[in-house]
Amino acid sequence: MRKHWGKKAMTMMIVSGLILGGCSGNGNGNGNSNSGSEKENTPSAAAGESAVKTDGFPIVDEPLKLKMFTRIAPANGPFKEMPVFQDYEKMSNIQVEFIESPTDGFPEKKNLLFASNELPDALYRSALSPLETVRYGSAGQLIPLEDLIDQYAPNLKALMEEYPEIRAGITSPEGHIYSIPGIVTLGSARTDKRWINKSWLEKLNLEVPETTDELYDVLLAFRDGDPNGNGQPDELPMTARKGLQIVNFMAGSFGLDLQLGYNININDGKVEIWSGSERHKELLMYLNKLYSEKLLDQELFSHTEAQYLAKQGTGNTGLFYDQTNNNFLPIMDQYVGIAPQAGPHDDRLQSNVAPVPRDFGAFAITSVNEHPEATMRWIDYFYGDEGSTLLRFGREGEHYEMKDGIPYYTEEFLAIEGAQGKMTPYAGGGAPHIINDKVASFINPPQVQEAYEQLEPYMPEIRYAAPMFDEATAQQVNVLRNDIDKYFEEQSTKFIVGALSFDKWDEFQATLKKMNLEELQKIYQEAYDKMAK
Amino acid sequence: MKSAQTSAASLTPSQPKRGSGLPRKIAKRYDLYLMLLLPIAWYLIFHYGPLYGLQIAFKNFNPAKGIFGSPWEGFGHFERFFDSYYFWRLLWNTISINLFSLLIAFPIPILLALLVNEIRSKHFSKWLQNITYIPHFISVVVIVGILNAMLSPTGPINMLIEALGGTPTRFLEEAGWFKTIFIGSNIWQNMGWQSIIYIAALSGVNPQLYEAAKMDGASRLRRIWHVSLPGIAPVIVILLILDIGHFMNVGFEKILLMQNNLNLESSDVISTFVYTTGVLKGEYSYTAAIGLFNSVINLILLLMVNRFARKTSETSLW
Amino acid sequence: MSKQQTLKSKSDERVFDAIVYAIAAVIMIIVLYPLVYVVSASFSDPSKVLSGDVWLLPKGISLDAYTSIMDNDKIWRGYLNSIIYTVVGTVINILMTLLAAYPLSRPDLPGRNGFMVLITLTMFFGGGLIPTYLLVKDLGMVNTMWALIIPGAIATYNLIVMRTYFQTSIPWELQEAAHMDGCSNWRLLLSIILPLSKPIIAVMVLFYAVGHWNSFFPALIYLQNEELHPLQLVLREILMISQSAFEGGSIGLEKQILLAETIKFAVIIISSLPVLIMYPFVQKHFVKGVMIGSIKG
Repeated sequence: MRKHWGKKAMTMMIVSGLILGGCSGNGNGNGNSNSGSEKENTPSAAAGESAVKTDGFPIVDEPLKLKMFTRIAPANGPFKEMPVFQDYEKMSNIQVEFIESPTDGFPEKKNLLFASNELPDALYRSALSPLETVRYGSAGQLIPLEDLIDQYAPNLKALMEEYPEIRAGITSPEGHIYSIPGIVTLGSARTDKRWINKSWLEKLNLEVPETTDELYDVLLAFRDGDPNGNGQPDELPMTARKGLQIVNFMAGSFGLDLQLGYNININDGKVEIWSGSERHKELLMYLNKLYSEKLLDQELFSHTEAQYLAKQGTGNTGLFYDQTNNNFLPIMDQYVGIAPQAGPHDDRLQSNVAPVPRDFGAFAITSVNEHPEATMRWIDYFYGDEGSTLLRFGREGEHYEMKDGIPYYTEEFLAIEGAQGKMTPYAGGGAPHIINDKVASFINPPQVQEAYEQLEPYMPEIRYAAPMFDEATAQQVNVLRNDIDKYFEEQSTKFIVGALSFDKWDEFQATLKKMNLEELQKIYQEAYDKMAK
Repeated sequence: MKSAQTSAASLTPSQPKRGSGLPRKIAKRYDLYLMLLLPIAWYLIFHYGPLYGLQIAFKNFNPAKGIFGSPWEGFGHFERFFDSYYFWRLLWNTISINLFSLLIAFPIPILLALLVNEIRSKHFSKWLQNITYIPHFISVVVIVGILNAMLSPTGPINMLIEALGGTPTRFLEEAGWFKTIFIGSNIWQNMGWQSIIYIAALSGVNPQLYEAAKMDGASRLRRIWHVSLPGIAPVIVILLILDIGHFMNVGFEKILLMQNNLNLESSDVISTFVYTTGVLKGEYSYTAAIGLFNSVINLILLLMVNRFARKTSETSLW
Repeated sequence: MSKQQTLKSKSDERVFDAIVYAIAAVIMIIVLYPLVYVVSASFSDPSKVLSGDVWLLPKGISLDAYTSIMDNDKIWRGYLNSIIYTVVGTVINILMTLLAAYPLSRPDLPGRNGFMVLITLTMFFGGGLIPTYLLVKDLGMVNTMWALIIPGAIATYNLIVMRTYFQTSIPWELQEAAHMDGCSNWRLLLSIILPLSKPIIAVMVLFYAVGHWNSFFPALIYLQNEELHPLQLVLREILMISQSAFEGGSIGLEKQILLAETIKFAVIIISSLPVLIMYPFVQKHFVKGVMIGSIKG
C-alpha cells in the first residue's frame, strides 16, 4: 500500500506541476497583452513620437507619462517629492512615475521584473551589471541606444567623444549600447586621497614621505615617537578600508596598475594579469613588513566600515585613505593630502582610480517603451551642467546659491539634518548624470582639491572600465574568476598577515596557473583588442 | 504507547467484512479527508505548483527567456560545482560543522528542558525560561558584533587570558577557532528557544508516572532517566530526524558576517559559497544546481534515519 | 530502616536541588551578560561602543538611538502592520496546521504515509523564487498582505511536530472510546483533542507568531507599497545605512553611520518587546498535568 500511495503522490505532483506550469505560462502572456493595452490607452502614444524635438524645451508638446523602476536609498525620500523631478516635469512636459524599490532587495526585484516580464518604460539608477545588460539586451527586453544617443542626446554624445573610454566601456561585443552609465569627469571624485597626519610629521620633524622606504621610516616614527604626546604607544600609524583595499592603494608604487576593472597592466597593447608576478610578491612582502611590525592596522581584515570611519575621526591615525575629508571635518587641519610614494623600481602611480564611466548600467530603456526618443532626451539633460546642477543642488535660492558661476548649498539648507538625501537622488549613489568640476563644490572643498592636486600628476593617463563580454564569455569569466579571485584574496591576506610564509610563493603561482590564469588573460586581451579598435 | 498501537491494529481490521476493507475504511473516515482537503490543496498549489522551476538547475536560465524558454545545459552546473577548486573544502566544512552541531548543540536544549523541569520553584523556573529564550531575538548582526567585542585582542576574554599569564589570541582570525566560536554562540543563542518544545512535551508527561517511580524509591536522576526522557523520546527522535534532514544547510548570514580571509580555511561552507558566487552574481541556474545537490543528500540522509528510527524506536515520519 | 532510607533520600534530594540551582544560575549569568550588553550599548555614545569601551554598563549615556527611532513615523506604521500580519497569519497557520496534523496523526487513516511523503518532500524541493513569485502574482496577491500569509500558511516542520504530539501525548484509547460513543471526527477534534493540546498549540502560536514577526523577505519581494511594509523591513532600511556603500559627500552621512551602530541595539529592544511580552502568556499553558485533569473531568 505504501508503494501504491507513493506512486500516486508522484503522479499528482507531476500533473499539478504541469497544470500550474501551464497556468503561469498563460499568466505571462496575459501580462504582456495587458501592458500592450495599457499603452493604447495613453492618449498621446501615436502623436508623441513625431512630436519629439531634437532640442529645446518642452521635449514634447503633448504631456507624456513614463514609468521608471528605481532604487531608493535609505537616505532618500520619495522621488516625486524631489524638486528636480517636479521642476523637470514642468519643463519637459514628461511626467515620470517612479516605481521605487528600497536598496535592500533591489537586485531581487530587478531580476523579477525581467523574469516576469513586467517591464517599466525605463530603469533609473538601476546598477545593471554588464552581464545583465548583455542578457536582457540580446533577448530584446532592453533596446539598443546607440542611434538614439546620436540623435537625441547631445550632452552625452559630446562626453563620449571627449572620453573614448566611455564608449569602450559600455558597448557590447556586437556593437550595441544597452545602458548608460553615471559619468564622472571630475578626477577627484574618481579616487581616494592619501591623508597623512601633518601635525605628527611636524612634531617629529619629518618630511612627507616620497618613497616607500621613507614611508616605512615615517610610520616607524609614528609608532615609536609618541607623536600624540600621551606617553603611551597607542598611535595607529596606518589604516585602510577593510580587506585588500590596501593592496590597490600601494600597487602603483610597485608598477602594478588596475586596468579593465581587474589586476591588469596594459603595456603596448599587451594585457598582463599581474597576480602572482614578481612585483606582486614585492608588494606583498612590503605590506607584510608593515603589518608584522604593527605599522599597519592590526584590525585591517576585521574592522567594520563604521569602525574605520571612527578611526579617521579620532586624530590618532597617521595615514589613511578616503575620497573626502567629511569624516574628520572637526580635526581637518591636522591632515594633509599627499602623493603616492615611489617604489623600489621608481614606479609612482595612483593606481586605485575609478574609470570615467564610473557607475555602470545606471539607465536603460526597455522594449515596452513607446517613446524611446523622448526618454533619451529626458535623461540626456542630466549629462549637462544645467541638468546636473538641478539634480544635485535643487532650486536656486531655496537650496543653493551661485558663487563665481558654481553652485553652493545655502547655509540654511545644510543646517537641516537629512534634508540633502530627501532633496537629491544623487545621495545614495549610482544616479545617471554627470559629475564634473561645475557641480562638485560640496564634495570637492579646497582641502580635497589640494589633496587631489598632489595626486593628479600620478593619475593613469586613461582608465579602462571593465570590458563587456558576450553572454557565453561572461559566463566563462565568471567561472574562472570565482576560483581565481577567491584564491588570490585569501592567499594575499595570509601573506600580508604572515599566516603564510613566502616560501610558499611558488605554490601560489603554480595554483594560479592551474586555475587557468592564462586563459583569463587571453579573454581580457581579446576584449581589450576589440575596445581599442 | 505500544499497547495503544497494537490495540488499534487489532481493532480496526476486525470490524469490516473482508474484501471491501479499504473503500469502507476510507468512506468511514471521509471527514478526516475533508479536514485534509484544504491543507493538501495548499501543498499542491504552493509547493508542487512552482516545482517546475527546478529545471533551471539543468538549464542556463535567462530571465528574459523565462524558465521554459531557457536553453538546456544538462549537468554542466553540477560539474562546475564538483570541479571547483574549493569543492572538497566546502563539503568538509559543511559536514563537520553540522556533525559537531548535532553532537553538541542538539542535546543541550534537551538537557536544559530537563533542568527546567527539575526546578521546584515555579518562579525561578519561569525566570530561567524567560531569560534563556531572549537571545533568540537578537539579530545575527548584533550577535557577531558582540562576539567581535568579546573576542577582540583588547576585549574581556583576552584581558582575562593575559591576566592569567597567557598570550592574547585573535580568535576571529584563526581558522582553528572558527567552528568552536560558531557552534558555541549558536548554542548560547538558541538553547532556550529550542528547549521550549521539549518543555511543552514534558508538561504532557503523566504526573502519575512520576508518583509511581517515587513510590518505587527511584532517585531523581533515575526518574529523569526512566520517566522524563522516555516521555519526550518521540519528540526528540522526530526533531533529530528533521535536523538531519537539514544536514547540508548552514545558515549563511552569520557565517558570512564572521568570515574573513584568515579563517576561510574552516569557515567556507556551501551556503556561503552559493551566496557569494551564485546569488550575488545572479547565477540562478548554478545556485539551483547546488541547492538541488544539497537537497538530494539531505533527502537520502532523512530516508536513512527515518528507516532506522522506524525499526528501532517506533517513532518515525512515516 | 525505611526511616533511614527516607532520610538519606532527603539529603540526596537536597544535594540534587543544589546542583540544579547552581547550573541554572550559571546558565542565567552566561545568557544574561550579552543581554545587558545590548541594553547598555543602546544607551551609549556610538563611538564608545565602536572602540570597545562599552562592555558592561553604558558609557557616555545618549538617547539618540531611541529618539531617532521614535521620530520615524514609518516605524509606528510598521509596528501596526506587523501586528496585523502576525495575528491574522498566526490564526490561519494554526487552523491549517491543525487540519493537517490531526488526520495525519490517526493510525487508522488509509493513505496516511502517502500524504506524509508528499508533505515531507516539500522540505527538500522547491521551485525557487521566480515560479513562486509568478504564482503569487497570478493569484493577485502581490502588494497585499495575503502574499505574506497564504504562501506560508503551513510550516512543514511545525506540522510534523504537532502531529508527533498528537500521536504520542493523546492516548489512542481515548479517541477510540469517543468513537464508540458515536462521536464524529470533527467533534472529537474540537472537544477532546483541542483541550488536551494546549501546550503544543501554545508552542505553535509562539513559533508561528515569532516567524511572522521576524520575517522580512516576502515583504521585500511582494510589497511595493511602502504603507504596507512591516516593522522588520522598516528597521532593515534604517540599519542598511551602516552597511551600504555611499557616494562620498552626502551631508551628515558619517554621523548617520555612527548612529546606526547604536540604533541596531535599540532596534532589537524595540522590535522584540512585543514577543517578549507575549511569552509569559504562552508559558502559562506549559503547566504539568493539563492532560490528566481534563481526562478526569
